[in-house]
Amino acid sequence: MIRVEHLSKKFGEHVVLKDVNAEIKKGEVIVIIGPSGTGKSVFMRCLNLLETPTTGKIYIDDVDILDKNTDVSKLRQKMGMVFQSFNLFAHLTVLENLTIGPVKLLGKSKADAEKKAIELLKMVGLAEKSRNFPDELSGGQKQRVAIARCLSMESDIILFDEPTSALDPTMVSEVLAVIRRLAKEGMTMAIVTHEMEIARNIASRVFYMDEGLIYEEGPPEQIFENPQKEKTKAFINRVRSFRYHIATPDYDLYAMNAEIEAFCEKHVLPKKVRHNVLLLLEELLAMINPANNWSEIDICLAYSEKYDSLMLTIESGGEEFNPLQESDLADDIGSIIVNSLGEKLEYERVDGKNIVSLIVKR
Amino acid sequence: MNIKKVVLILLICLILLACLTGCSGPEKTITSVDDLKEAKIGVMTGTTGELLAYAKYPDAQIESFDDIMDGIAALKAGQIDGVITAYTTALNTVKHNADLHILGGVLEYDYNSIAVRKGDDELLAQLNEIITKLQNDGTLADIDKRWIKADLSPYEKVEIKLPTEGDVLKVGVTATREPFSFVDDNQQITGHDAELAQRIAVELDRPIEFVDMKFSALIPALQSGKIDLIISGVSVTDERRKSVNFTVSYYKNAEVAIVRNTENVAGISFFEDIKDSFYSNIILENRYLIILDGLKTTVIISILAVVFGTLLGGLICFMRMSKNKLLSGIARVYISILRGVPVLVLLMLTFYVAFASVDISPVLVAVIAFGLNFAAYVAEMYRSGIESVDKGQTEAGIAMGFTKAKTFFYIVLPQAVRHILPVYKGEFISLLKTTSVVGYIAVQDLTKASDIIRSRTFDAFFPLIMAAVLYFVVAWLLLLGLGYIERHFDPKVRKRQVKKAA
Repeated sequence: MIRVEHLSKKFGEHVVLKDVNAEIKKGEVIVIIGPSGTGKSVFMRCLNLLETPTTGKIYIDDVDILDKNTDVSKLRQKMGMVFQSFNLFAHLTVLENLTIGPVKLLGKSKADAEKKAIELLKMVGLAEKSRNFPDELSGGQKQRVAIARCLSMESDIILFDEPTSALDPTMVSEVLAVIRRLAKEGMTMAIVTHEMEIARNIASRVFYMDEGLIYEEGPPEQIFENPQKEKTKAFINRVRSFRYHIATPDYDLYAMNAEIEAFCEKHVLPKKVRHNVLLLLEELLAMINPANNWSEIDICLAYSEKYDSLMLTIESGGEEFNPLQESDLADDIGSIIVNSLGEKLEYERVDGKNIVSLIVKR
Repeated sequence: MNIKKVVLILLICLILLACLTGCSGPEKTITSVDDLKEAKIGVMTGTTGELLAYAKYPDAQIESFDDIMDGIAALKAGQIDGVITAYTTALNTVKHNADLHILGGVLEYDYNSIAVRKGDDELLAQLNEIITKLQNDGTLADIDKRWIKADLSPYEKVEIKLPTEGDVLKVGVTATREPFSFVDDNQQITGHDAELAQRIAVELDRPIEFVDMKFSALIPALQSGKIDLIISGVSVTDERRKSVNFTVSYYKNAEVAIVRNTENVAGISFFEDIKDSFYSNIILENRYLIILDGLKTTVIISILAVVFGTLLGGLICFMRMSKNKLLSGIARVYISILRGVPVLVLLMLTFYVAFASVDISPVLVAVIAFGLNFAAYVAEMYRSGIESVDKGQTEAGIAMGFTKAKTFFYIVLPQAVRHILPVYKGEFISLLKTTSVVGYIAVQDLTKASDIIRSRTFDAFFPLIMAAVLYFVVAWLLLLGLGYIERHFDPKVRKRQVKKAA
């Protein structure tokens, strides 16, 4: 359906895409992942010529879209696009957002277009918002309307450009649910995303982009469980971490907790895990603080995409002290909590520092 | 805005004006020509009176006015102590103002002549011949008798059969110079000089057309070929000789001084005064027709200029935002020049330079000049309005399959209009008010109409208030119209409408 050959894109001297070759077949769900700044979005925007490629060829149903005689506007009608920032038409109601295309471009009657629009809005669960204006909707609702807008044009393929990046974590799932439903119904889609979960679950093929090209592609099982190439491995196994440095005994406990919560939210960790992390930290700090005579403390939270696990590490100075073994400590409840909420508890003494690490139970 | 507010604002305007005319500094009483030496003297710019005042009264404080009636108004308000002007004008002034009188004694004589363009020697020779002939057969003396009335009795107008075929003779006049040239109750330009001009036209066997413009604009108009000659009580000065050629004199005038009476005329009540003013300024000689005509012209110029400027502004904005460096460069230069030049200067340049040798209606010139100016301002308004629409909106439209043009008209423009309209409204009203300078190019608009009436009645108060009120009403009506459009594009109002429909 879409064939891309030797596509390259430069912005001035800066090379974003070097040599991209790809093919998307009808009914496929392609998920494009990769580190930031590797041209995922640019690649996507080249497909409907929102960006003009520097060199290379793009064929849609064997039509060369870079040919001067090709009616690009006509082709775009068959390719919907969902943007990171929604881009709903601000001066139109939700319903009008869905009818303007069919009426002005496909020549449908207003009544037909509205009937279809209401159906689509029902499908994304927003029929009751049809007379609202975009600025009255939440981010998740806006994105669902944007998806419905693409469907109203009866597109053959929908391009998703980071559809959940601008969303509050609590709203990601409602949008993902709609995308999942479309995948189930056999819609052809190309999705640029940082949501590994969606890549894992609905992709028929995953493109891993790096170094300005499609570095590795394959079914999700291969990319996630058994990546072949060096950089793919590094990306899939990468851990994302959060560090917090406690310099004085008068540190801002609430600020630290808020940052930890934000980190957990960002990685869509369940509420329970978030709660556990905070409780564990509170207990461990209560044990360590008196023992190390207020020397500085470093906290590290690390989340591994691959194993979907959260590791907590606390480094502290002072004398050798293993909080995990101090059973004679007055605060017995502390030990009980630590043992029940954490697993793989470990203690090490390195370079005059006490290092406690554990995996937060889910 | 409700009616109460409007009435309140009008009242405040009236009170302010009454205060301004009422308050004045210590007034000086002039009883003889010698008293002028250290007085405040009003004169009209570029006239013999001005030269005379500077030469004869070096110690006096001399105020130059663009039109003599402004000087008279200042004299009546007590801002100046005397006005030096031609005897004919003085006669007419005291006729209408019981509180003024002419000071005894002629200050100087001066000679009224017809001005023709330098180099137009053929016309000059013809005119000299005609004036000499009219003088010899007594026609000039007859004209003087009919129009210069020392006893203030009515003028005697005679009908002259005018040629209709041939090359039109364009005569520049300032129709606020009674008794030489002024507008009568049939809205016709008439008077001593008008009759002379008509007689000259008969002698030349050419149809005649009067072109009425501000006195200070007459000579530039003659030089640029907009008119063929000036007959409007112009007295010969050395200064003017440098710019134009003068014929032999057709009238010997005298310069005299007008001053306030020492004793006030028995006071009449404020309301009587208003009633009299209303009658003489509005009803008498159907003067409201002049006002209505002027109002029509003002509205026509404003609306046409706005339409023209809005369209041209769209084009300039398109060029300005174009990726083509040449186009955007041209637009940039256009915008900065047009915004940097005062609109009155632009108007005069358009009339006297750009269209100097083209026979074009001054109303059209005004529309073009104001439109050009308006376009420069709205082009930048459009640009900021369009740029304030998020780029994502355009991208979404394009990605959906709209062409660039359709995306602009269906998606960007409706959103930009909402940002543009509030500023656009202000610019529109500002344009309406600025059109009051069109009198400079011989267009009789609302301001000019009130000038004409003032020149007949020498009453500063009423015609000006009338003009102010009318400008305000027109602006208000136009704002109502634009407000209607604005509501159409306001999302909040649309929300209410959409919800109501649901």
